[in-house]
Amino acid sequence: MTNIVEMKNVCKSYGDTEVLHNIDFSVAEGEVVVIIGPSGSGKSTLIRCINCLEMITSGELIVDGIMIPAERKRVRQVRLEVGMVFQQFNLFPHLSALDNVAFGPIRARNIKKPEAYRIAEELLGKVGLEEFKEKLPGELSGGQQQRVAIARALAVNPKVMLFDEPTSALDPEMIGEVLDVMKSIAKDSGMTMVVVTHEMGFASQVGDRLIFMDDGRIVEEGKPSEVMKNPESERLTDFLGHVKHH
Amino acid sequence: MGFEFSVILESLPALLTGAKLTWLITLLGISGGMCIGVLAGLGRIAGSVYLGDEPHGFARQLSTATRYLSAGFVESIRGTPIIVQAMFLYFAFPMMVRMLPNVDQFRMEALTAAIITIMVNAGAYIAEIVRGAVVSVHKGLVEAGLSLGISRYQLIRYVIGPIAIRRMIPPLGNQFIISLKDTSLFIVIGVGELTRQGQEIMASNFRALEIWLTVAVIYLLMTTVLASTLRHFERKMKIF
Repeated sequence: MTNIVEMKNVCKSYGDTEVLHNIDFSVAEGEVVVIIGPSGSGKSTLIRCINCLEMITSGELIVDGIMIPAERKRVRQVRLEVGMVFQQFNLFPHLSALDNVAFGPIRARNIKKPEAYRIAEELLGKVGLEEFKEKLPGELSGGQQQRVAIARALAVNPKVMLFDEPTSALDPEMIGEVLDVMKSIAKDSGMTMVVVTHEMGFASQVGDRLIFMDDGRIVEEGKPSEVMKNPESERLTDFLGHVKHH
Repeated sequence: MGFEFSVILESLPALLTGAKLTWLITLLGISGGMCIGVLAGLGRIAGSVYLGDEPHGFARQLSTATRYLSAGFVESIRGTPIIVQAMFLYFAFPMMVRMLPNVDQFRMEALTAAIITIMVNAGAYIAEIVRGAVVSVHKGLVEAGLSLGISRYQLIRYVIGPIAIRRMIPPLGNQFIISLKDTSLFIVIGVGELTRQGQEIMASNFRALEIWLTVAVIYLLMTTVLASTLRHFERKMKIF
């Protein structure tokens, strides 16, 4: 299997503060990688570097063959191949659910509107929200908004999907519906995914690999069930004791 | 000498001629002001995260220069009285032009000076309105747009713009009304707008009460038209 994302010796600093230290990390095609870790450990920064929302300070990042920073002019190309789902959904508030999903195909992929809307309707159906297509984001629940956001990211037809704590802003009863959608994307379409989450149930059911980050470093990684059962470091043992099991 | 309604009727044609001129200066002035304001407002935040990715290399230097230039423009216009700006443009600017070699004849029409003054003055204030509205757009929406792989132009045109415009309408209404009333200051450079018409009629018949009351009512009518037009737009667009 080829690596679709590869990080070599990547560092990221804000001013004098280095938040990622010499990260070596890769994601193979079709793989589901789950990243856990305490807040401030750099897990969000790591995935935000993958689609260049944060530019790496040093080292090398290769996404679908595009080398960053050498080919930083091709950042848009990187983003077309990397979809992202945010903790706060970030749906465009002035557009209906359908227009949100059709936005990427029309603007970023230059797909004709009828075809883009066909894709959008199909994806809204896939996340179970076909009947909500005319609603504005403000008229939807958190769980529904996040499902629209997932459809919006998928609509551009990316090769990798990044999830930045997709269920952390949701009420407990809505977490399940979002996780179910994510599971079906991983299982049915074999999508390559990098997921930052504290949902250990999701990690063990869907994850191919679990990564534990602390203080800007990858501390442990391996098969989710094994890493969770036999944590090597004290930090991970401690951390696992604090996260809820779903 | 009681209140004479006939005085109002007699002076009305002249006052309405003035009102027409006031309207002309205002509409041209705020149209130009909008163009200047959007450019200077975006200019003040060029290269910042509010407008997408931070630029690199030459683009970075260019946006820094744009920021300083726009800030300099906004501050110098906001920091000087509009009446001084009008006087400068009407009296001092032609003098400066005539100092150039091979130029002996240059004059500026009072009306032209008035329109340009409103354009530039309103432009500086509108720039701040534009900047404020753009900065208020949630950073997450900018990131969501970027993460889909759209260009900076598309980001501004389809994401930041539509959301920011809705937030600009109330403060823009304020500015348009202020600009309309500011046209009364052009009495000092001899533009025959509404206030000057009133002043001239008053000087010939000394009917201060009737004339200034009528002038005030005409201004009120014009500002009401402006305000209700904007309110109409505001209702048409949902505010987020």
